[in-house]
Amino acid sequence: MQHPLSRRHFLKAAGSLIAIPALESMNFGTAAADSKTPRPKRMIFLGFGFGVTQETWFPDLQQTGRNYTLPEGLAPLARHKNEMTVVQGLSNQYSKDAHWGSTFWLTGANRFSEPGQSFHNTISTDQVAAQILGKETRYNSIHLNGGDPNIEGPGHGPGLSLSWNAAGKPVGGLNSPVLLFHKLFSEEKMPLEKRQLMLAQNRSVLDAVLTDAKKLQRNLTKTDTDKLSEYFQSIRELETRIAKEEQWLGVPNPKAPLPEPGANLRGREEVKLMYDLMAAAFQADSTRVFTYRQPIETMVKSLGVKIAAHDMSHYAPGERMEASQLRDRVQSELLAGLLDKLKASKEPDGSSLLDHTCVVYGSNLRTVHTLDNCPTIVAGGGAGVKMGEHIGLPKNTPLCNLWLTLLRGVGVDADRHGDSTGVVKELVA
Amino acid sequence: MRPIQHKTPGILATLCLLAFLGLFSPLAESVCAQTAEAVQEPEQPHSFRAEVPERYRAFLQNYCTECHGVEKQKGKVRLDNISLKIDSLKSADEWAKVLNSLNAGDMPPEDSKQPDQSAKADFLEALSQTMVVARKTLSDQNGDITMRRLNRREYQNTLRELLGVEMDVGGLPSDGGADRFDTVGSSLFMSPDQFELYRELGRKALDLSFKLAIATPVPQKHHIEPEFELTEKMEKDLAYWNDIRKRYRKWSLQVDAAAKLPENAKIVAELREVSKATPAKFYLSWDKLQQAPPPKDYGFPDAIDANMMNERWDTHAPYLAEYLTQPKVKTGAYLAAANIQRWVNVRAPAQWPVGDYKARVRIAATKESPENRRFIDFLSNVSSAQVLSSHQVTGTIEEPQILEIPFRLEPGASRNFAIAEKSMLGNPDGFSFHDVLFGAGYQANRIGPEFAVWIDWIDLEGPYPSPGISKALAEMRAMLARFEKEPEAPRNFLVEFSERALRGRTPDAEFVDKLLRLYDIRRKDGDTPAEAIKEPLSVLLASPSFLYLAEPASDGKRRPLSGLELATRLSFFLWSAPPDAQLLTLAKNGALAKPDILAQQVERLLSDERSAQFTKAFVSQWLGISRLDFFQFNLKTHPNFDLPTKAACKEEVFQTFALLLRERESLTHLLKADFVVINGLLAGYYGIPDIRGDEFRRVTLPVDSPRGGLLGMAAILAMGGNGDQTSPVERGAWVLRKLLNDPPPPAPPNVPQLNRLAGKPLSTRERIAQHQEDAQCTQCHRKIDPIGFGLENFDAAGKWRTVDLRPDVPPEKRQIDPSGAFFKGAPFRNVYELRDLIAARPEKFAHGFTEALIEYGLGRPFGFSDQDLADEIVNWTKKNGFSLPEFIQALVASKAFHSK
Repeated sequence: MQHPLSRRHFLKAAGSLIAIPALESMNFGTAAADSKTPRPKRMIFLGFGFGVTQETWFPDLQQTGRNYTLPEGLAPLARHKNEMTVVQGLSNQYSKDAHWGSTFWLTGANRFSEPGQSFHNTISTDQVAAQILGKETRYNSIHLNGGDPNIEGPGHGPGLSLSWNAAGKPVGGLNSPVLLFHKLFSEEKMPLEKRQLMLAQNRSVLDAVLTDAKKLQRNLTKTDTDKLSEYFQSIRELETRIAKEEQWLGVPNPKAPLPEPGANLRGREEVKLMYDLMAAAFQADSTRVFTYRQPIETMVKSLGVKIAAHDMSHYAPGERMEASQLRDRVQSELLAGLLDKLKASKEPDGSSLLDHTCVVYGSNLRTVHTLDNCPTIVAGGGAGVKMGEHIGLPKNTPLCNLWLTLLRGVGVDADRHGDSTGVVKELVA
Repeated sequence: MRPIQHKTPGILATLCLLAFLGLFSPLAESVCAQTAEAVQEPEQPHSFRAEVPERYRAFLQNYCTECHGVEKQKGKVRLDNISLKIDSLKSADEWAKVLNSLNAGDMPPEDSKQPDQSAKADFLEALSQTMVVARKTLSDQNGDITMRRLNRREYQNTLRELLGVEMDVGGLPSDGGADRFDTVGSSLFMSPDQFELYRELGRKALDLSFKLAIATPVPQKHHIEPEFELTEKMEKDLAYWNDIRKRYRKWSLQVDAAAKLPENAKIVAELREVSKATPAKFYLSWDKLQQAPPPKDYGFPDAIDANMMNERWDTHAPYLAEYLTQPKVKTGAYLAAANIQRWVNVRAPAQWPVGDYKARVRIAATKESPENRRFIDFLSNVSSAQVLSSHQVTGTIEEPQILEIPFRLEPGASRNFAIAEKSMLGNPDGFSFHDVLFGAGYQANRIGPEFAVWIDWIDLEGPYPSPGISKALAEMRAMLARFEKEPEAPRNFLVEFSERALRGRTPDAEFVDKLLRLYDIRRKDGDTPAEAIKEPLSVLLASPSFLYLAEPASDGKRRPLSGLELATRLSFFLWSAPPDAQLLTLAKNGALAKPDILAQQVERLLSDERSAQFTKAFVSQWLGISRLDFFQFNLKTHPNFDLPTKAACKEEVFQTFALLLRERESLTHLLKADFVVINGLLAGYYGIPDIRGDEFRRVTLPVDSPRGGLLGMAAILAMGGNGDQTSPVERGAWVLRKLLNDPPPPAPPNVPQLNRLAGKPLSTRERIAQHQEDAQCTQCHRKIDPIGFGLENFDAAGKWRTVDLRPDVPPEKRQIDPSGAFFKGAPFRNVYELRDLIAARPEKFAHGFTEALIEYGLGRPFGFSDQDLADEIVNWTKKNGFSLPEFIQALVASKAFHSK
């Protein structure tokens, strides 16, 4: 598919019963769309596991509101001070595992709430958002999982990415910029007819394994049926994906706005490229929801630090604390770079992508083994919450109150999320 | 980027309060609050009821109920009438809040009455332990084994057994989680991406398998004479450097001549003054002299380059010349240290198919070579320089040896390999061993270090598939041949393949119909029959009947396993692979149900080489060995702990276990033994003389050796540190968890950090003593720290030491004091006594080991409901002197192993 498709061609291919993707998606980069259409909302969740250097990352709680000084760890974000808000006082009341910075970050779940089980989780914020924000894009949401899986130690806790599905099961993540690049921009070489055939074949594949799964399910105990339900759930999700692929059949992937990343980029380089690709994906409107469980060990290594991430997180004045501070700063620099990119991308109505994107940056761990006052930064205009502020909330305000606030802010009609008790009023203008 | 020097280990390295507790051990939470009587008097009779002892009611009354009692219920919390039994999720959550606020130091509030530290510590300890018991009771699966899917290892092994191919499964998500073994079904998830990965991997495996089955590669040979490449290269390189020197000489002479001209006298005087310290610097200013020729005329881009290249001649040319004057340079190649090529290329022909090969290397150590340099690495290739294996060189120039090195050609991977002296190629852990070695040699003789290893020739041969792979490929070949004869009857092929893939079960007819539909689709689309059949086969390899080890049952009723189910459980337990034909036959004809036949099969499986899968996977997860990969070692302070040594140290743990298993020896040798299982490399590391060669073997220790048993193994000791300094906390906690079966509770969250002693000149011991000041810390550290101090005679890389060279320890405090006492228990003067005290009660250790074995073998968390089973196994094996295979026999013979 070298030439842009006509809308008619698209409708023919897609059938008439399905939602029609927004026009910009099809002719990305070739024409400006109607500038009056409300711009779509987007969300990015960035979780970095092991906490921050608390002495130099959190702004002084004596200075709340707009007039506050960015501490050393956040200094690289100075140019975005008005486009971000630092929130203190949030925590997940059930989180007690001292090295699990990501497992419950977006869910707020109680690990022990299922009798006879020693682990339980619930749906993550991004997956709630994706159900609504993902309707019009090729991918409902994209989940990234950084680092080299063979050397990543603790810091995130169990899970395959930051995302957990409606059944509370881990959602897998792409673990390199190359994979993300191919997902977003690889050119489809197969002719349309052939691909239709392949989708039909894939349906038959799912039909076959579903038959097998149903047979298997007949005589299973309740626990085993629960286990097998993960398989069923996977098949259902794949069916949805096929439906989506059919819907997008004939719509070529957008042209890549950047060259294919090199293989084996790790740490700082990986994060930078993932950020570039996220911004590019938003420009191309391939998805509107990203989660990124960021690298820890490889990040630390890429900074020339020879201390294991865990040791670094248990910093004390001296070498380890310097390493921890260096990591804080580099991560802030990288985040600032992402915000730059989003800000530089103009929407058809002249606003920027950042104006319509809600970026969340944080962890369930504050520092060392401390799980309260989770480091939290919200940036961008996507959720319509107050920007440019430093907000100190009462101690142990549920983190899920923030998630609820943001979900509502991007237009998801949710009553509650996790253990939320309401929205964060201080964030709502 | 500013590299951070790894010199000052953080002062509070060990004060990170229970840093790793519970994180790297699959069993962190799986053990009850028992205490080891041998070394610690039990504080309370152990029970599996989660109940805070009644006497702590007073603590609540004294410090809590004023605000959380009848009259006031601040924060809606009431503690005067709270049940001390923790028997529901609700009460567990309530008590978790109490524990958390005490640990966080939030309660009692600062302005109210405070308990003294020891009372608080006692209460915290009791409550933490009770919480562990409660969580465990509440999450007990009561013997239910959750159906599980194949984990990554098992999936890989299954493809090998079934298709005769080795697949890289690194792309699949990693298994396990929440501190469990990777065989525990409840922690093995499935996701849509994973389904697609299985399909892709299955497809690739089938492509390769068909290819190898149809055109079975014939073994070939490729002969390499390394001197053909290397000697010529060295000659060329030497000529290159000598040419540089010659040109430089010519140029500098011309500059010198110009310097003598009277018109240059003034400037020359100035320049000589400035370059007094380094006379060569003078030539950098050649352009200030009249009539001096430019370096370009002599082939140098500029004077800086000319000077630099001339200087580098010193560290290159003499070493090259030395190389070329070595006696055997015409018939072989020497391995060099640095500055000249320090490896021999081993290039397999590009057209060779993937598979298992071996390199036969005629090799020798030179007379001059020091013992510790008689090792080589076999590496992936020069650019990635991954060490694939390390070997000791025992041959001499007079009598070279033939070293056999197995290697594998992987699909899509480079066919270039290399041989270099151990740790001399690449930059493992960011440390240039070769520069250090060369530097030392050059310092001594202005040439370079002696040449230690000589290689005559290398023969590459293969492929030599393992018997398992040959067998799988032969079966595939036969099946394909039958299929070819009746290509329109793919059903037969599919059913036959499915029965093998499904471990002896017949596939469901409707499922087969649906799979055949896929075959038809592919045929209609123009695929050949052999191509089209791969589609349904790849789907089968991603289907639930293949991926899950299903054991149908109804709720609430236990039923005995069928023969096939038992065979499957057994082979995945001991091989991490599907049952073979013999097991399947015994399963189908009912013989496997007979205890003696079953016991024979256990022996057969254990003596098969596939049982190495069990040893490695089980032992590494049980003991938490992967921790060794979580940090880099500081090779400046531990120069002998390079990657090959680290790998050998890990291997020692597995090999010791395998030997105990093979020779029916007692598990308790892991607590204390008069022997070690080591190879030549480790013998050198431990300072044990006269042991050479790559194979691991039993070596009897001198009576006063601190080695022998896990506590003497470098791998175990190195895990208890950060790669630079030891962590007594880490080690103490590990001993409690693994050897004494008395794990401290998981690291509590939100404990305030102690920094008071930062920067003070203290010994490691004094620094850690800070734990005793704070009840939140003392509750666990009073048990943990003394054990760790007892092991301080081993440094962070497991070597023996008597002084602590940690830079922040003042000289007068460097002498190590290993003495101590178990909390409320026996004292010890040194590591020998510590070890003996631990070894004196092997039941504790055996119990912990059994719990791990049950969890791994049955694929579910060890619960209190398994306690009887564990007791039975321990009692049984005790009668047999804790013979290691007896544990496995006892578990396999147990009712639990036979029941769904």
